[in-house]
Amino acid sequence: MSSNSQLTLSVNGNHVTVEVPADEALVHTLRDRLGLRSVRPTCGLGICGTCTVQLDGVVVSSCLLLTVQVSGRSIRTSEGLTNDDGSLSRVQQAFVDNGAYQCAYCIPGMVMTVEACFAESPNASVEEVREYLAGNLCRCGTYVSILEAVTELVKGERE
Amino acid sequence: MTTSADTLVRRARVLGVSLPMPDAADRVVGTLEYTVDHSVEGMVHARLVRSPYPHARIIDVDVSGALAEDGVLRVVTGADIETAVEIPNPFFGLTRRDQAPLAIGKVRYVGDPVALVVAETPQTARAGAESVLVDYDELAYVVDPKDALVPDAPVLHDEWPGNECGEWRLDRGDVDGAMSNATHLFEATYTSPMANAVPFEPHVAIAVWVDDFLEVWTATQWPSAVRGELAHMFDIDPGKVQVRVFPLGGGYGAKSQLKIEPVVAAAARMMGRPVRLELDRDEVFLTTGKHPARMNIRTAVDAEGRFIAREIDLLYNGGAYAVVTPKAVAQGLLRSIGPYRFPNIRIRSRGVYTNTIPSGSFRGAMTNQAAFAYESHADEIAAGLGIDPYELRERNLLEDGDLFASGQVMHDIHFRELLQDVAKVIGWGKERASPAGKAIGKGLAVIIKTTPPGTRSEVRVEVHADGQVLVHTNSVDMGQGVLGTLAQLTAHHLGVDIEKVRVRDPDSSTFDSMTAGSRTTFVADHAIGEACESIRRQAAEIVAGRSYGSDPGTTPDYEEIMREASITALIGEGVYQSTPSDALSNPLDVKGEVADHWHQGAVAVEVAVDVETGKVEILRCHGAAWAGRVVNPIRARQQSEGSIIFGMGPALFEEVIFVDGQVSNPNLSDYMIPSIVDVPINLTSSSLESPDPDADIHGVGEMTIPAVAPAIANAIARATGARVRDLPMTAERVLRAILGEPE
Repeated sequence: MSSNSQLTLSVNGNHVTVEVPADEALVHTLRDRLGLRSVRPTCGLGICGTCTVQLDGVVVSSCLLLTVQVSGRSIRTSEGLTNDDGSLSRVQQAFVDNGAYQCAYCIPGMVMTVEACFAESPNASVEEVREYLAGNLCRCGTYVSILEAVTELVKGERE
Repeated sequence: MTTSADTLVRRARVLGVSLPMPDAADRVVGTLEYTVDHSVEGMVHARLVRSPYPHARIIDVDVSGALAEDGVLRVVTGADIETAVEIPNPFFGLTRRDQAPLAIGKVRYVGDPVALVVAETPQTARAGAESVLVDYDELAYVVDPKDALVPDAPVLHDEWPGNECGEWRLDRGDVDGAMSNATHLFEATYTSPMANAVPFEPHVAIAVWVDDFLEVWTATQWPSAVRGELAHMFDIDPGKVQVRVFPLGGGYGAKSQLKIEPVVAAAARMMGRPVRLELDRDEVFLTTGKHPARMNIRTAVDAEGRFIAREIDLLYNGGAYAVVTPKAVAQGLLRSIGPYRFPNIRIRSRGVYTNTIPSGSFRGAMTNQAAFAYESHADEIAAGLGIDPYELRERNLLEDGDLFASGQVMHDIHFRELLQDVAKVIGWGKERASPAGKAIGKGLAVIIKTTPPGTRSEVRVEVHADGQVLVHTNSVDMGQGVLGTLAQLTAHHLGVDIEKVRVRDPDSSTFDSMTAGSRTTFVADHAIGEACESIRRQAAEIVAGRSYGSDPGTTPDYEEIMREASITALIGEGVYQSTPSDALSNPLDVKGEVADHWHQGAVAVEVAVDVETGKVEILRCHGAAWAGRVVNPIRARQQSEGSIIFGMGPALFEEVIFVDGQVSNPNLSDYMIPSIVDVPINLTSSSLESPDPDADIHGVGEMTIPAVAPAIANAIARATGARVRDLPMTAERVLRAILGEPE
C-alpha cells in the first residue's frame, strides 16, 4: 500500500491542499476529491482528450499525470474558464452559440484545447485549431459544429 | 385585462427552429450531471471478476483472499445468486432469459462476469477482485458462427441445441423459376465484424433498496425494460421499481437492453446497502457490440438492369447470450431487402450463439451490415451490366404504392428525392482527374430501415396554475437533445411559449419501450399531440361554448381558465402504440405489415485512394435523411452528420478483434475511432421535408450511417476497379484488392 502524500495545488485560481496516494492520477484527484465533473476519464491512455486540463497553461491529459507530480503547480479546468460573474468564456459561448455539443461528454476537453491553442497562437487559423484538436475525440461526431464555433472565433480574432 | 373566453394568442413558431438544448451551458462547461457523477448516501463500490476463458465450467470460486483485504465487504458469486431467496428468478433477458447477473455453472465468453467484489472504496474493490481465485474446467469453444452451426460444435446453452439464436424466413414469388430464366446472375458475399459503440460515459449503475422498493440510477437507453426485467428477477410489482436516468454521455445502442443493472441490484439486495458499479473502458468493450454478419446475395437481373429475383442468406453472430438477437435477426431479414422492388425474393436470416461478446443494439443496427452488402451489390451489378449506378437504382427503387418484399404497400417513400439530393451535391457524373499515385472516385448508396415493431410510448403533460408546463416521459437524452425536442413539440401542440415547458428526466412515471431505433421524435409527436389535445378539450369544456381546436396558433389562456375555475392543473395523457401486425407471427413465413413507417437515407462520397498504400481519404461527403418535418434543424443536422462520422469508423478501421476467443484490442489505442482530422472538411447533410404541414415527422438518428460504408466501397471501386467486400476497408485490405491478392 502506498502511503498518502499531502500537497498543495492551485486549481482554477484557488489554493487547495489534498492528501493523495502516490499512485493517484490527477484526473481522479480533480474529479473525485475536488468535484470537478468536467474532467472525465474515458480511455485512461491519453488518447481521447476528455480529461484535458491546462497545467501552467499547457494542455495535458490528466489521466497520464500523477497528482504528486504536479504539486505546487497551477491547474485550470473547464469550470475555471467561466468569468467571475458566471458568464461563459468567449470560447465556451461560441460552442453554445454554434450548437457545438451533443452528449457533450467530450466538450469541456475540446474547449480547454481550443482555449490553449488561441492562448499559444492568437492568430491561429481554423486549420491549425483543427490539427490541435486531433487529440480530442467526439463519439457523437460533433466535429462540424465544433469547427463552425472555431471559425467564428477565428473571424472574431481578426476583426 | 383579457378575459379567458376571448384569449386567442398567436405565438412564435417553435417547430423548425434551431433552439439550443435547455442545458447547453452546463453541457459546454461540464457541469451537467451524468449518471457517472451521481452518488448516493452510504453507497459502496463494486468490481467484477471476469472469465479469462471463452468457455469453461466453474469448479470453485475461492473468495477468502478477497475477503481478507481490508475494506472488502462481500464477494458475490453466481452460486450465491442462484440460491439467494431474495432473487427468485436469477435469469434475465428480453427475448430469452438465458443470462444471469453472474455466470452460474459455466462461463461462455472471455469477459463473462463470474463474481462481484463489493468494498468501501473503488480501489479496495479492485484489489479484492484481483484476489478472487476461480478454478475452471475448460471446454471446447467456438468463435466463428459458421463453425457454431456444424453438428458436433460446442453447445453454449443446453436449452438451445445447435446454438440456434433465431431464424426467420421470407419467400415471395418464384425465385428458382426466375433465377433459371435470368439473363444475368450476380452473386457475392459481404462481411462485417464486431464493432464497439464506445460511449464515452461507461456503463454505470447504482442500486438502492428501501424495504421492497428498488431505485436504480443507471446510464440506460431502455429504462422501462430495465424496470420490467428487474421486477421479474426479484418477483416484485414493477411499481416498486423506479429507474432513473440522467442524460447519457453517449449511447449509440450500447446502453440498450439490460447490462450491469441486474448484478448491481442483486448485490444491493443481498447486502442491504446501496451498491455502485462503473465499468473500465476494456469492460465496456466486453459488454456489448455490433452483430458481426455475413450476407450472401444472389440476384437475377434482366437486360435493362431490373431486379427479377433475389436470394439472401444472412448469418448473424449473437455472441454468448441472446440479448435481442432472436428478434433482431427478424429486423435483420427485413432490413436486408433494401429500397428496391423484387417480384421474387427469398431470405433466410439466422442468429447463432458463439463464445464471444453478446451482440446487441448499435447505431444503425441490422441495417449497417445489410446495406453494406446490398448497396455494394447494386454497384457490382451496375458495373457488370455497364449501367450507371445511379441509373440502375432509379430503375429499381420502390415508390409509393409498390409492394415491399413482405407484401406491405409502401407509402411516404422518397428514395428518388434522396438520391437526387446527394448526387447533385457530390457532382455525380462529373469525374475529376486523379493526381499521380492517387485514384479519385465517387460512390453513392441509399437505404431503407424498418421502424421497430410493437413499441409503446406514454407521456403526461401537466399545465400548472402558474403557467408552467411539465412533461413526463421515459425517453432518454443521449446527446440527440430529446428533452429539448419534446419541449418544442409540447409548446407547438399546446400553443404555449417554449420557455414555460420543462421535460423531466426519465423516472419511471411513464412508459416508453426504448430510446432507440430513431423512433422517439415520431412517436413522441403522436403521444404529445394526444396529451395536448386532451388539455385543449378540458380547457374548452371549462369555458363552455368555446372550442380550442387543433390549430396551435389559437391558444386558450390556460392560467386564466384555471384561475377562474379554481383548479390547480390541467393534465393530459397521450399514448403512441405501434400498429398491431401479425407479420412476424410465423418466423418461417414473414409477410404483411412490417413497419409503421419507413426510415430513408442516402450518402454520396468522393474518395482519393493512395494506390501505393491503399489508404482511403474521404474528400467530400454528403448525406440526406427523409425528415418529413424538421423539429430542430441543428439537432437533425447533427444526427445526419454525426451518423456519417460514426459510420466512417466501422467502414474504414474499427473492428473488435478476437484472438483465440479473446479480444486483443479493448482500448482506444488499439481500437481507433474517427478524430476531427479523419473527417472531411467538406461534410454536409440535408434533412428533406414534405410540403404537407401535417406530414409525419420521421426520426433521423440513423438515416445516413448505413449508407456510409457502401458509398465508400463503391467510390473505391469506381476509383480503382477493386471491390472490397469485407469491413473494415483498411489500407491493407484495399491494397490487396487493388493488387488482386487474397487475404
